[in-house]
Amino acid sequence: MARLTPEAREQLRAVATLRWRLVVNSLRSVRGRINLVSRSIGGLVVSLAAVGGAIALGATAWELTSTGKLEWLALFFWIIFLFWQFFPLMATAFTQNVDTSAFLRFPLTYGTYFLVRLVMGTLDIATALGVCWSVGVLVGIVLAVPKLIPWAVLAVAVFIVFNVLLARMTFVWIEHWLSRRRSREIMGLFFFLVMLGFQFIAPVLDHYSKKPASQRFQYAAKVSPLQRVLPPGLCAEMLAVAHRGTPQRAVGISLVVIAYSGGALGLLHLRLRQQFRGENPEGGAHAAVLAPTSAIRPGWKLPFVSSPVSAVFEKELHYFSRSGPMLFTMIVPLVVVLVVIGGRRSFLSQQSELLFPIGAGYCLLVMTNLVYNSFGGDGAGVQFFLLSPVSFRQIVFAKNLAQLAVLVTEVLILWLGVCLIYKPPQLVFLAITFCWYLFAAPVNFSIGDLLSLYSPKKIDYAVFGRQRASETTIFASLGVQAVVMGVGALGIFIGYRYSNYWIGALILAALALPSIAGYTILLRRIDGIVMARREALAADLFKA
Amino acid sequence: MLVNAAILTENLTRRFGDLAAVQDVNLHVEAGQFYGFLGPNGAGKSTTIKMLTGLMAPTSGRMRILGLDLSTHLVDVKRQIGVVPEGMALFGRLTGSEYLNFAGRMYGLDRSTAAQRAAELLEFMELQDHPKALITDYSHGMQKKLAMAAAVIHGPKVLFLDEPFEGVDAIASGTLKAMLQRMTARGATIFLTSHVLEIVERLCTHVGIIHGGRLVAQGSLNELRSGITDEASPGERMSLEEFFLKAVGGPRTATQELSWLG
Repeated sequence: MARLTPEAREQLRAVATLRWRLVVNSLRSVRGRINLVSRSIGGLVVSLAAVGGAIALGATAWELTSTGKLEWLALFFWIIFLFWQFFPLMATAFTQNVDTSAFLRFPLTYGTYFLVRLVMGTLDIATALGVCWSVGVLVGIVLAVPKLIPWAVLAVAVFIVFNVLLARMTFVWIEHWLSRRRSREIMGLFFFLVMLGFQFIAPVLDHYSKKPASQRFQYAAKVSPLQRVLPPGLCAEMLAVAHRGTPQRAVGISLVVIAYSGGALGLLHLRLRQQFRGENPEGGAHAAVLAPTSAIRPGWKLPFVSSPVSAVFEKELHYFSRSGPMLFTMIVPLVVVLVVIGGRRSFLSQQSELLFPIGAGYCLLVMTNLVYNSFGGDGAGVQFFLLSPVSFRQIVFAKNLAQLAVLVTEVLILWLGVCLIYKPPQLVFLAITFCWYLFAAPVNFSIGDLLSLYSPKKIDYAVFGRQRASETTIFASLGVQAVVMGVGALGIFIGYRYSNYWIGALILAALALPSIAGYTILLRRIDGIVMARREALAADLFKA
Repeated sequence: MLVNAAILTENLTRRFGDLAAVQDVNLHVEAGQFYGFLGPNGAGKSTTIKMLTGLMAPTSGRMRILGLDLSTHLVDVKRQIGVVPEGMALFGRLTGSEYLNFAGRMYGLDRSTAAQRAAELLEFMELQDHPKALITDYSHGMQKKLAMAAAVIHGPKVLFLDEPFEGVDAIASGTLKAMLQRMTARGATIFLTSHVLEIVERLCTHVGIIHGGRLVAQGSLNELRSGITDEASPGERMSLEEFFLKAVGGPRTATQELSWLG
């Protein structure tokens, strides 16, 4: 790239300052500072994954290189490659990203714009981990066979460059497509189905591990030529041929990887150039097809509750049914419990009566995002609740009622699945599960409602990916779930210990009383809390 | 204090730390008035409207809406007012009809009345051709019209509108203005903020001007104009813009202009 002009340097400095100020300004509020602590813990986890992964990959690379099995390094390159390319898509691509047109209105040259997009996009967890793990592999190879230093450095360098360019290229093209809400939803659903497919990796591996070694090698031999024409396989191949003393071939292979990188760069350039010229698709407005007017049907009427409670309940279920991510979240426990866990020769498949209570626990767990940030999806709509003449006690109760309805539906489907696939759970296990729910649901609703008011975060129910509550909420909810699950497990254990599971059910039923009482007390006080929090609540959820 | 006024405030004050966003504001809006609340950016308009609608608590002072003290009768007041707030308070993942239906029921209408009024409002606002579109896919102007429809579905006696015509096309704007004028003719009170002085001049019967958190002028348009004569053309009525600029300290002089600007 041509040397940067002083103006371009100043622009890049301005973008870097902008990023920094965004971080600093986020610390102005108490919640921002608490979130920083939570993020630091998250950062520590990522650092451990980076260092631990690098050491593990490095040690294994050392072992493989020492024993001359350099072709097998392809496995590591493939693992790193798949993580590097898929993780950002699943974690970040489906959020509503920074509007790049904001930068385009400034007099940036194309070179500066390209650089800004490349650098800003590369500062992510996947790149950090990908680079660390690749360096781990490099160190392992070099320690095993020092004479491979130049080849190892070249292979890892081209591998890193290729991954960076490919990830950016994929991202900008998908971003282009995802700029329409409907496309974003479809694409998100597709990728989440892919992610769901990952749940089947273990059963598949389990299946192949039972095959004789010769048969497994036959499968590997079939797959190997396919993977060797792609960059991760090529990088391993480059090292193997260099080790065998054919440097010309290694250079040739490195050129192929560089050509792949060039292809990714070309496609990246093509899209960014289009973007730079202003060739962006229009937004999602006016997407609806004109349709004739029809009479509006009256809203739902639930028995025993007021009209506003019915209205909020209906609104919540409309939101839920139109949220791809939420529906997907509901499918996961059913698939995992009924197909993956139950289908394998695990402890649980032998003790299938425990499948139902464990699955029911899992169902409650996946509701965390919804229950602990129940105003998050409303966004600016929370102002409507604050302006309406309906007490928040009714609004919060209606939201909890809708969440409970979803939960009960989920558990009923689970029960049906367990009955059909395995055998109907014994009555005592149904009772344990029911009593545990009587205890766990009010605890979750109480603390979830409080966190929804004290630490709300705007989320888009239509968007897949990094749609999570605030860090404070995440850590608090994890703590609550650990305690609640622990209590349930203790109930089952006591029943098991005394060979009478009804004792466990009784204990959980006793615990349900204070739990329900606590929830009732909270509902009585919720309007006072909202009055005190109304400004912060509206401000937090009104933010873009 | 006149207890039959639609909107009445006494020394209404709101502080954010050391900053007084609104200071000792005494508003007096009679029932049936079309009241325009004007002020430069950051003058305290939105803070005032948030306090009057219960979205924000005042630091001190009293507010009465339709004779009811807001601090003790908040829910009763909410039943009788309609609001189009700054953020429009929409639920993006509902359709227009679902939202209006929902709004009607939250304001105490029975199911069939809510559905009937929702249909009427959709037709009136010319939003009926998009029955399956989610609000998030509406244009800004369509969202504004929908927010307005939700604010009036229960037939409020007082309507608070924060920049209601922003982003609304000229045709829809005309329809909305006619609707609002019919409401005031029937006795409803409208409290509106707008940056477009021409709109206020054309629609409003009364005006309040806030500047630096303080109410610097209040009264009917004619009253306000009659106190001041145009120095350039003696005897001629001042436009609202001229009056407004006088009230908030006048336009910037040439010396304040940016010398480097070509």
